[in-house]
Amino acid sequence: MIILLLVLPLLSALLMLLWPRIAPLLALLSAAASSMLALQLLLQVAEQGSRYMLLAGWPSPLAIAWQADTLSCLLILLTTVLQLLVGFYAFATRSRDKLGQGFWPLSSLLQVSLTALWLSRDLFNLYVCLELLGLVAVALVSLSGRSAVKPALNYLLLSLFGSLCYLLGVVLLYGMYGVLDIAGLARSWQTDWLSSSALSLMSLGLMLKAALWPLHAWLPSAHAAAPAPVSALLSALVVKGPLFILSLLWLQLASVAQAQAAALLFAVAGLAALLFGGWSALRTPFSKNLVAYSTVAQLGYVTLALGLMLKFDQPLIFAALWLFVLAHALAKAACFLAVGEMSATLGGKRLTTLKGASQTMPLAMFAFAVAGGSLIGLPPSGGFVAKWALLQGLWLQGELLLWPLALVFATLLSAAYVFRVVALAFDRADPVAPDFAPQVLPQWLALLPALAVWAMALFSETLLQLLRLEAL
Amino acid sequence: MTELSESLLLFLITAASLVAVGVYGFIIGPEPLRRILALNIISAGIFMLMVVLAYRGYDSAQATADPVLQALVLTGLVVALSATAFALTLLARLEPSSENSAPEGPEQ
Amino acid sequence: MSSFWLNYLPVAIILSSLLPGLIIFTLKEQQVKLRISLNLLGVTVKLILVLIMWQAVKAGNIFYFSLPFLPGADLVLQGDALSLLFVVLSSVLWLATTIYAIGYLENSPLRSRFFGYFSLCVSATVGLALSGNLVSFLLFYELLTLATFPLVVHRGTPESLAAGRRYLAYTLTGGLLLLTGIALLHSVVQSPQFIPGGYVSAVVAEHAGLLTVAFALMIVGLGVKAALLPLHGWLPQAMVAPAPVSALLHAVAVVKAGAFGIIRLVYDVFGVDSMQQLQLAQPLMLLAAATILFGSWRALAQQDIKRRLAYSTISQVSYITVGVAMLGPLAAVGGLVHLVHQGVMKITLFFCAGNYAETLGVHKIRELNGAGRRMPLTSAAFTLAALGMIGIPPTAGFISKWYLGLGAVATDNNLILMVFVLSGLLNAGYFLPIVYRLWFLPQRGSWPEDQRLSATLETHWMLLLPLLFTALLIILMGLFASTGVSPLSWAQLIVEREFSYD
Repeated sequence: MIILLLVLPLLSALLMLLWPRIAPLLALLSAAASSMLALQLLLQVAEQGSRYMLLAGWPSPLAIAWQADTLSCLLILLTTVLQLLVGFYAFATRSRDKLGQGFWPLSSLLQVSLTALWLSRDLFNLYVCLELLGLVAVALVSLSGRSAVKPALNYLLLSLFGSLCYLLGVVLLYGMYGVLDIAGLARSWQTDWLSSSALSLMSLGLMLKAALWPLHAWLPSAHAAAPAPVSALLSALVVKGPLFILSLLWLQLASVAQAQAAALLFAVAGLAALLFGGWSALRTPFSKNLVAYSTVAQLGYVTLALGLMLKFDQPLIFAALWLFVLAHALAKAACFLAVGEMSATLGGKRLTTLKGASQTMPLAMFAFAVAGGSLIGLPPSGGFVAKWALLQGLWLQGELLLWPLALVFATLLSAAYVFRVVALAFDRADPVAPDFAPQVLPQWLALLPALAVWAMALFSETLLQLLRLEAL
Repeated sequence: MTELSESLLLFLITAASLVAVGVYGFIIGPEPLRRILALNIISAGIFMLMVVLAYRGYDSAQATADPVLQALVLTGLVVALSATAFALTLLARLEPSSENSAPEGPEQ
Repeated sequence: MSSFWLNYLPVAIILSSLLPGLIIFTLKEQQVKLRISLNLLGVTVKLILVLIMWQAVKAGNIFYFSLPFLPGADLVLQGDALSLLFVVLSSVLWLATTIYAIGYLENSPLRSRFFGYFSLCVSATVGLALSGNLVSFLLFYELLTLATFPLVVHRGTPESLAAGRRYLAYTLTGGLLLLTGIALLHSVVQSPQFIPGGYVSAVVAEHAGLLTVAFALMIVGLGVKAALLPLHGWLPQAMVAPAPVSALLHAVAVVKAGAFGIIRLVYDVFGVDSMQQLQLAQPLMLLAAATILFGSWRALAQQDIKRRLAYSTISQVSYITVGVAMLGPLAAVGGLVHLVHQGVMKITLFFCAGNYAETLGVHKIRELNGAGRRMPLTSAAFTLAALGMIGIPPTAGFISKWYLGLGAVATDNNLILMVFVLSGLLNAGYFLPIVYRLWFLPQRGSWPEDQRLSATLETHWMLLLPLLFTALLIILMGLFASTGVSPLSWAQLIVEREFSYD
């Protein structure tokens, strides 16, 4: 089944190159089939426990180790479902947004690389997935034409630089231990300056690729330049790949001393991201940039949770980390699709184009507001559950004042930028007239993930349990 | 890991300096082409490091180099090559638009 | 009816306004009849369901409905005596406000949106009343914030947008503090269901500090909506909203949500014993007393009718808090019954203010001279409600103030008694001049914008009927306070159950 999850989109990508005419159909079919498979895999793994695989039947040190645990399966499911949704959106708007034929095979390739990344537990294999992911992402950004080439190139260069940093770290580690799979490395891990520097090199590269503060500068322009479905995929999924590796490295490899040393750095970086990203989102005059800066800010929650997890080693915080990732992915997909839809219909990149959008495009605006509610963390959304888990985790550790206070402040900032848009949409003075009659279907498609992130709250107990088990 | 002999140190230092030069070039150079080249220099440094680490001595019975690392270098080369090619394509697309004179070619 | 179906009653009560609201969103602007019928259908169904529940709760049943949510904190809907008090209030006043709003917004744009959010707002209020633990309460509390924002900014003018932003800034911050407080409390004792006598007493000795912090956070969070003293800033500004919205905000939904939350917190989370042990009631009571005086004082200085009413709300809602915080049974009866009485009286006043604005174009108090002759019914209702606010028998206001006064005496709070007397004087000071102007001063010139909205009546019948209904309620609740169907008897029932736990 795992193999099928990879082969199916890969095969369909190849077929798309052969028959570009039926590419959308193929992409949607393969995404739908993969979603079913991913769901089945998740159920199976949740019931029977993690599944391990050694590729090509080689013995342990030589083969590439793969592992499908609940977290991986959840992320695969998220990936495939979002692929399907974004695919539908792209299909529904194909006549308007000239995405080009490139979108379909590229998005399938994106799915392949992400799926492989979630499953892989081998440092070098992770590097290959990461590199592939980066290349596909850049190619997707460059789809939106001339204006996107410059941000795309910049993105590519930084992304390559990040991967090389990561690769250098991998090579150092292999030189020391002669193993590449994470479980094997963890067994023989020693705390010395060489392993520390390898770890920091890899983290540097990954943080650059995941746009964690202070290495986020490339993200807003790249994500804002991409076409709406692509930005949705980028913000929701692509930045999470390096984050996943980062958490694998620090939570499974690093020794207690190393983790403790890095904990505060991560936490402070997360906090700075929250403040800086929130502030920039509050200031930017462009609507897509606002959403992109919000990604920077929301990744701050994840970084903060990672730092706190390293510090306290509390399963609830680990659960919070991945809940943030899941909730953010769904909410951000909805935000980008909604904003993309609104700026396409109302004709303009500026935030002021959204003036009066609550009248002209109520559905899309509603989708944005609902997704924004999860970004803020209003109950009963996914963002709320994540924040709740983080707070409970902190309090279980007796951490009463500082971090909760910081969380509260960050939440206020996110509320401020979300409602900056929403308040504008209720401005009735002179609403911006749509360039053409708003399409209904894409707006519904934008609303779907927003509703899903609120529905996440209904499964929060299950999710928390699954994720907490994973941390032990 | 294998013992590093004196002579290997030279290779190690070369690899390290290649990486250093590349990083310097990447951070300094504002021009995209220079930065692409810098990235290539960094990867050359890393591959060299890998080749050095694959060394297992001349005299022992299984006197072959570490095959895993060699395989990794090969994979890395392929990835680096395709990445560079892609970067250059993007660069080529960027150039005419900055001059604003050349007509846009059909996309491939 | 089987007990299985009865368990779904709380859900059905919420859905009876939520579903029509959601359908209304999808309607076109011109589908007036369908929209009105949907609205009225929802109201009727809700009232019937509430009636069923009322009968059952009176007989001693309690309704539970729960959905799994967070670990240790399910989403619980609970229909007990206290929740029913608020449910009945909001459903009955929803009926009145819906009719009023239909008349008020006739021919104005974006009505589908308005009524959609209006129904959402009522659903959130009812959900809040029915919520059975703190986490569910928080959920509806935030939902209420979100649902009322579009109503506050409904006019879409820069002024109303500014008011809306301010409203959000206050209420979202408040909601966040409430969340923090609830999460903190949850980390100590989880979030079990509300229960008379509270559930924290077991850990009072061990975690006194934490509990105090959590209580303070939650009170601040609730205090924003209940417009406690330093947190009241949003309320007068939110007056730019259309009259039905102000009526809803002030009498039923928002401020009452805060006050109701305080009641739940004091009686069903902390409980009287723990409150006394932790000495939390005294500061809350003093704060509320200060708010009473401050609100009345500021109301005196307002020249705009709606603004004066707004400051009056700030003052009157704090009566509830004071009654609750005195921790005596009599005072509690006074506080609880004031929740209902203040709601009915304030909604009447806002309906009247809306009528003056809509029919005559009058917004300022000095323009009201002689309005009694032009609009006798409206003015009579206004007079009645104003007298009730001051606390003159036989109105409803008298009953609640009487019990509050008795409660103050019973719990030896002479200071509070003084506050009541002083505030009563201030109330008279800002309401009686209006009444005097209405009836005894001659009209000055013509009305700013006179509209004849009806051939025979002083204004549109849909604007008149609701306020006559609520004015009638004021008298009835006062005259028949001792009968079994009055809010007073219900409040006594609640207090009996709240104070007779072991």
